[in-house]
Amino acid sequence: MSQESATFTISGLAGNDLTVRYRQKQTPVIAGQTVAIPEGKITVFIGPNGSGKSTLLKTLAWQLRPEMGTVILDGRNIAEFSPKELACRLGILFQENSAPNDLTVEELAYHGRYPHRRLFESLTPEDSEAVERALQLSGSDRLRHHLISQLSSGQKQLAWIAMLLSQSPKYLFLDEPTTFLDMAHQFEIMDLVRRLNRELGNTVLLSVHDLNLAARYADHIIALRDGRVVAEGSSEEVLTVEILREVFQVETRIVRDLAGDSFYCVPLGKTCEQVSVKGCR
Amino acid sequence: MPENEKLPRGGKAMALLVTLSSFAVLLAAFVQVGAGSYEMTWRQAWHALTGAEVWGQPELLLRLLLGENVARNLGFGDPDAIATTTLIVWTVRLPRVLVGIMVGINLAFSGSIFQAITRNEMASPYLLGVSSGAGLTIMLVLVLFPALGAHLPLIAMAGGMGAFLLVYAIAWNHGTSPVRLVLAGVIIGAIAGSIQTGLFFFARDLTVVQNALAWTTGSLTGVGWEQVRMIAPWTLVCVILGFSGTRYLDILLLGDPTAKSLGMPVERTRFLLAAAAILSAASAVSVAGLIGFVGLIVPHIVRSLVGSPHRRLLAGCLFAGPALLTCADATSRLALSPVQIPVGIVTGVLGGGFFLYLMRRKQEFGRL
Repeated sequence: MSQESATFTISGLAGNDLTVRYRQKQTPVIAGQTVAIPEGKITVFIGPNGSGKSTLLKTLAWQLRPEMGTVILDGRNIAEFSPKELACRLGILFQENSAPNDLTVEELAYHGRYPHRRLFESLTPEDSEAVERALQLSGSDRLRHHLISQLSSGQKQLAWIAMLLSQSPKYLFLDEPTTFLDMAHQFEIMDLVRRLNRELGNTVLLSVHDLNLAARYADHIIALRDGRVVAEGSSEEVLTVEILREVFQVETRIVRDLAGDSFYCVPLGKTCEQVSVKGCR
Repeated sequence: MPENEKLPRGGKAMALLVTLSSFAVLLAAFVQVGAGSYEMTWRQAWHALTGAEVWGQPELLLRLLLGENVARNLGFGDPDAIATTTLIVWTVRLPRVLVGIMVGINLAFSGSIFQAITRNEMASPYLLGVSSGAGLTIMLVLVLFPALGAHLPLIAMAGGMGAFLLVYAIAWNHGTSPVRLVLAGVIIGAIAGSIQTGLFFFARDLTVVQNALAWTTGSLTGVGWEQVRMIAPWTLVCVILGFSGTRYLDILLLGDPTAKSLGMPVERTRFLLAAAAILSAASAVSVAGLIGFVGLIVPHIVRSLVGSPHRRLLAGCLFAGPALLTCADATSRLALSPVQIPVGIVTGVLGGGFFLYLMRRKQEFGRL
């Protein structure tokens, strides 16, 4: 795989030698990792709980400050961007969100225009257009006058994505966007992500727990364990029995479907000291 | 939920709120001006308020508004003798109404802002130390340093702001959070409150105690044009600051991470908004003492009518705050006449009742 050295990339996103710690003197959550995010692609972070995938995601979005290392965004050190400049380029959806009980979807979407507005500037036609587009794209158009507190989890997620899209960002960061959703809504979110990527050319970074969602939607997968990147590449390259064993300590079988254009990871059980395909006894 | 159900957002509810509140303020004002221990007919009161005796003499009007000293510096001559009714209406009763209106605005604004920055509906203007700091300095002055009595309003204001800074310093640990701020406020409140109560034992006589009680429960007794001049500029500043901060308040309600991801400097914004709210609360304290519950329940009532977006919320508070305060003050002054009780006692009783109602009616409240 040929990857340009991150420092010299003119556009794109890369993290160089990142070390992140939540508290001083604790073991780092991310330990000296370098990653390059392919532009215009969907990059999926996988890894067990506590592997640092959310942390790495938030660090690349500059929501966490690394103790060491730099993030390069579009050829500039990300620290040089003003917070608002940054928010116009990248939007992040957190795993958990809360909004006042009486906020409507449309009002939330308008909050996404915050980084585009000056101190006393009122809403411009451009703001309204961006919000309209975001509501349409995210499919939360018909929910616009509903209260967020009264939506289902899936609809809530769409509403928050509408806010994200109102920012008109080039980079989208989604921290486990499907975790609390039923299957239909998981597909809805992931289809939306794909559409945003294919139609608008957004670079998308997201973390998921479901390997089959990763297999199906990812252009590029980064697998983490204990704060280190264990493997990266296309889904075929990363989702192998050996790598999954190393990352999750789980035995799997990789199954191709009949059409042959996608494959599935079937979990078999936890890996034991002595590997047995039948699982632990 | 039906597909096309539109919620009553603002519009009608706001119109109702503004109309009712304005009516309440006018009614309270009229009662305050007309009634009291100095007997006058309603007609006399109306005449004194609107007649040519004051309005026909710009110099007299300015003398009232700007104060003796300024008038003298402007070279105004001594005024002609004024009728007693006019004098009472203009120097005692009217300014009290005006101060009440402004204190109401300040407390309601301050409460709204604190509820947003702590993301807690139960937050009051006094949450982050204003009451503790102001209360303690008031007691210190009254009991231990009576010579400073003339500067009490300013000292109370300074005390409130000092305590706020202390609260912020305690809460700070690589940044703050709503919970840390509230906890720090409780810590300072507990300590300052104890010392404040302890100081009562050193009071020399009953007058001092009553005076201290009036300050610490909040009272508008004896306010005049001097207090109007004292609070008016702060009110204006706070209203302007409040309305220019509405977008930031709205975004703070989405939580720190989201606010930050939208490009808002969360800590700086929170501190500046808190400082504006403290200014607001402290200016109210400097003229009226610690009137409780107004800053807590007014934003509550307004929010339930017009929703949480702050442009509407603050606009509603601009009317509802004065309405509650002027009505409560009219009650406190006239209900048990000739005894005037501090207005803070009335607002406390009203506030308790209101929360009882809330608790019975709402399933869940507190979090914003």
